[in-house]
Amino acid sequence: MCPVQELQDRVAQNRLHHFEMVPGTEKDRRPKGDPLRAVKEYARPAAGKDATNPTDLRPPAVLLKTVHYLINEIAATPSRHPWTEVYGFVFDRLRSVKQDMIIQRVSGSECAALLEPIVRFLIYASYRLCGEPLRLYDPRINDTHLQEYLSWLLDCYTADGGPNPNQEEFQALGLLYNLDSMRARQHAMELPQQLRTSSSVTLAMSIGQAFLERNPVRLLRLAGGLSFLQTCALHRHLVACRRDLLLIYSHGFSSRNCRFPLDRLARLLHLDSALAAQLCQLCGLRVDLENQVLFSKSAFVEPKQTSLDCKLYHRKISEKQTSLSRLLLRGLHETNTD
Amino acid sequence: MAHITINQYLQQIYEAIDNHEGSFCAELLSFKHPHVANPRLQLANPEDKCQQILEPPYDEMVAAHLCTYAVANHDFVEAYKFQTLVVAFQSHKEENALPIMSAVTLDLRIFANNAEQQLQKKGKGHPGEMLEKAAEQLMSCFRVCASDRAGIDDSKKWGMMFLSNQLFKIYFKLQINKLHLCKPLIRAIDSSNLKNDYSQAQKVTYKYYVGRKAMFDSDFKPAEEFLSFAFHHCHRSSQKNKRMILIYLLPVKMLLFQGHMPTHQLLRKYDLMQFSDVTKAVEGNLLLLNEALSKHETFFIRCGIFLILEKLKIITYRNLFKKYLLLKTHQLPLDAFLVSLKMMQVEDVDLDEVQCILANLIYMGHIKGYISHQHQKLVVSKQNPFPPLSCLS
Repeated sequence: MCPVQELQDRVAQNRLHHFEMVPGTEKDRRPKGDPLRAVKEYARPAAGKDATNPTDLRPPAVLLKTVHYLINEIAATPSRHPWTEVYGFVFDRLRSVKQDMIIQRVSGSECAALLEPIVRFLIYASYRLCGEPLRLYDPRINDTHLQEYLSWLLDCYTADGGPNPNQEEFQALGLLYNLDSMRARQHAMELPQQLRTSSSVTLAMSIGQAFLERNPVRLLRLAGGLSFLQTCALHRHLVACRRDLLLIYSHGFSSRNCRFPLDRLARLLHLDSALAAQLCQLCGLRVDLENQVLFSKSAFVEPKQTSLDCKLYHRKISEKQTSLSRLLLRGLHETNTD
Repeated sequence: MAHITINQYLQQIYEAIDNHEGSFCAELLSFKHPHVANPRLQLANPEDKCQQILEPPYDEMVAAHLCTYAVANHDFVEAYKFQTLVVAFQSHKEENALPIMSAVTLDLRIFANNAEQQLQKKGKGHPGEMLEKAAEQLMSCFRVCASDRAGIDDSKKWGMMFLSNQLFKIYFKLQINKLHLCKPLIRAIDSSNLKNDYSQAQKVTYKYYVGRKAMFDSDFKPAEEFLSFAFHHCHRSSQKNKRMILIYLLPVKMLLFQGHMPTHQLLRKYDLMQFSDVTKAVEGNLLLLNEALSKHETFFIRCGIFLILEKLKIITYRNLFKKYLLLKTHQLPLDAFLVSLKMMQVEDVDLDEVQCILANLIYMGHIKGYISHQHQKLVVSKQNPFPPLSCLS
């Protein structure tokens, strides 16, 4: 997974990541590199730098092993290091995989096999690290790379032409992640019949439809039927969706005598009552002592971006999570939970 | 033209250049002109001959043009390569090059299209490759025109709209990924003082594409203005073009002025009966709407208007519910709405979602009233509970 020369250089320069060190030598002045765990790092191409040595290029079979190692042994394995560090390491090493892929012009189903676990990993990360401080995790950077890999993967499927058992999963993930994109929706509409009518894509399209029709009640209800990873893909849109529900209801139920039971609202929002009440307050809506929400169009205010902490609403999502390793490497072959 | 010798041909070009006859010269360089069928002009190495008679840069340019044998052999990938060279010379600042520029860029785009198809059949290259390259070249020509400092009579700025239209055609073919590239072109034309003085035909094409771009950006009001202009100023005899404009104008009009539906006659005249069921359905028949969208799905998706037509659902809900409230009551149980939807064979809808639909209609101003959760009723204003749709933007 790592060229011999690079490993030697990095050991000599003390530039090993602790995931690459021989266990027990981490605190040494010059930790030992473990050739079984060292992974070629990302090197920014620069003018004046030597072009990649062809012998350092890892062929697709090796790249696949590398990706599986990174996902299985690093990303999905519990570690005493914070997950932000795990993410940082895996993210960087995957970038190097991508470099080798591009130089060698890997394409077709080989390419897809490499990209699929990477896309799943980044989608999972977008949920897992949501809310982390910017210096440790930048959602925009994750998004940029995720969009690139996803786009590349979908292109692979198109270019390949033939059926691919995982394509359904990723077309759906793409739709959910890019819920508000007309472009993604139009692309999905143009998919071949068989794909378009597959269960994942159909569900993703219905959720998109509910979004377009501005029916957050329906959207949240349908979202309940998504798998864990699908929910991760969708999750960044859910806060806005819940706020939208409160906005629409503020107008639709606006009357002097309005009394809307908090419990019922909580159920519609797919949150527990305490969180629902808190969200109401952030939007300027009063909840009286009998736990009734007083919807009022004049009272509604746009909640401040900073006050909306997506992480608070993660609990329902995390309940769906199953084995991470199986999820990231094998994807869809888990049943949808309730 | 079909029988002249190479010398005679080059002589004609020389004289055309000498006499500043831009249009005639353009014809001699256009693939629409009969000279391209002349086997005597299909030389493998015309460079020497051209250099003998013509001054640079015309010598090389015409030499590249003369590799017309490629077109004769229907090898559009080759033809495209030579045409690229011809177009490259357009950045030379010669006077009266504008008609030439128009002719050769048009051919470039056509060759790129054909080359794309040929490559796709052979499974080579990635889709859009040739068109993207052609677009880059056209873009450089556009920049040359836009930055031209000559006086208004001789200005290359007159070529801007033609080139924009060529570029729009490419970008729309490459579809959604590249549409944002239209923006700088639109901005450049908008800020030019010539914008209203281009030919009618050019303006119609321009507004058609700008209108479609606006639709894509969900700017429906400007879209309607542009497309209406294009439709009304499109030449009466261009039935096909008028139809193309209508395909986009109709959904936008339906969305903006829901009282304003196209007549049966219009749809018949332009062979657009696909819209007929949609038009009828919007009056309140949700079932018919779903059926109509499903029946003509392929057509609507291919044209890129399916998603816009789906937006008509909200209006259909409004019209459907309005029918229920024509009864002399201003309070209606929520159940009634659920029933009406079920009658439209809308499966998979529960009372909560119905409340949300109604709340949304109230929020959007389509219904004046409020929902009472305690009484499970929709209470509407006694006056004008359903404001006319065209009042709303």
